[in-house]
Amino acid sequence: MEAPEFPGTAVPDRSLTYESMGLRLHALEWGSIDSPPLVLCHGMWDHARSFATVAPFLSRCYRVIALDGRGHGDSQWADAYNWMACVSDIIHLIRSLESPIFLIGHSMGGGQATDAARAVPDRVKKLVNIDGFGPPPMPAGTPSIPVRFSEFLDFRRRITKHPTWRPYRSLDELAERRHAQNPRLSLEWLRYFSYHGGRLSDEGWIWKSDPQMAQGMGPWVPEWIAPSYRTLRMPVLAITGSEPDTWGPLPESILAERLSNIPQLERCTIKGAGHFVHIEKPADTAQVILDFLGSA
Amino acid sequence: MRLKHGHTFLELHQLRAGDGLPLLLLHQLRGSSADWGTPPEWSGSVYALDFSGHGHSGWLAGGGYYPELLAGDADAALAHLERAAVAGAGLGAYIALMLASARAAAVPAALLLPGRGLEGAGPVPEYEAPFPEIDAIGAANADGFDPFVEMTEYFVRPPEYAFELVSAAQRVLLADSGERPPWWVALRSCRNVEAVPPDLNTAIRRLALSSPG
Repeated sequence: MEAPEFPGTAVPDRSLTYESMGLRLHALEWGSIDSPPLVLCHGMWDHARSFATVAPFLSRCYRVIALDGRGHGDSQWADAYNWMACVSDIIHLIRSLESPIFLIGHSMGGGQATDAARAVPDRVKKLVNIDGFGPPPMPAGTPSIPVRFSEFLDFRRRITKHPTWRPYRSLDELAERRHAQNPRLSLEWLRYFSYHGGRLSDEGWIWKSDPQMAQGMGPWVPEWIAPSYRTLRMPVLAITGSEPDTWGPLPESILAERLSNIPQLERCTIKGAGHFVHIEKPADTAQVILDFLGSA
Repeated sequence: MRLKHGHTFLELHQLRAGDGLPLLLLHQLRGSSADWGTPPEWSGSVYALDFSGHGHSGWLAGGGYYPELLAGDADAALAHLERAAVAGAGLGAYIALMLASARAAAVPAALLLPGRGLEGAGPVPEYEAPFPEIDAIGAANADGFDPFVEMTEYFVRPPEYAFELVSAAQRVLLADSGERPPWWVALRSCRNVEAVPPDLNTAIRRLALSSPG
């Protein structure tokens, strides 16, 4: 079938592949290869096209490089997805580029971009985090670690037996499934997004992403996020939407407390946007990013 | 025998046949099932697993090893055996604790032995610590194992995590002498934890006493 169009998107100018820890990873590029590089990292279950409406604005001034994370989009599946490996994938891309870069991440990609910026501060001139400030503190009544860990092991047994997604009869059904999870995003956008994030198998439309990523387990707690921000050595722009969504934004008291640890912080709230700030309000989001990156 | 976990395969070696509760041995970091040498005396069958990235098991594409995922390797072996006493050394000891906690009904007792990979990245996150040089890890000389298995040592092991894990286990034996990391020390005061001599054969005999049929 022909690729669906979506107003405001632009066909990427180039694609890029590179290697990280033996995996072949993929990225899409918009803009002149001679412009300053701007690396974009998407969130969980997303892919490089999640930036397809904001990239045309940013690519007027920058070489926009939107990564497909390991196991996402057109990047290779991995056998394991620990956080440090995902951060390393971003660092490998950054180090493969000649000049220091600007770095943007959304949601999980915002958290990973933040850790990449902490790891290679001399390579990252400025960081933009779009609603990627971690989950709220674990609510009272969260099952104990042994219970959650046994659920994780059960999941590993299930995914070993059935390592594929459920197929959908049509692209529309795939988009509708995603719409149930992200009700603020239009079906028209999700058709475009799902076409590039899915593929037609013999059984029907399935996601390209690796279902193994669905669950993780470990000692990590949200309380570890805020202190890590103190080691950020570059200017940081924190963007959130004004509207409640199925994920984020954090309650203001929690968010403000976390962000207060960032030494060089600018904040911006985009009115009328939920968690997918850059998808819901691409022009507004691009403008605050361009203002921030361009400022001295 | 060959088992599957996630996208990769695992080798589970039967070292000895017997009736009664099986014993599952989990090797240390950068080790393999061959570490155990002559299998210890045990009334049931004795099995030794090669963790992914080690011995005859598959390597994980893209590295990305972490202890909880290797606990999934051990759980694949446990699924095959249905019930087992578990003994682990080093990283395998940390994983034996996880398995004894999450699969308490299937693991009557676990023995934790010292060995490589016992430490992890310490009890709390160190925010100022430099990020690991992943390329150097991947390029390191490694004989018979995937150099990226070293990543398991880059994850923090808080004492309170180990404490919560052990609270759900039936019985945990610590082969306890010498300096031990904080997560291990936190176990010593728990009601279902017992110190045993560090000698392997003695410790395994104590494990047998703690593992009714």
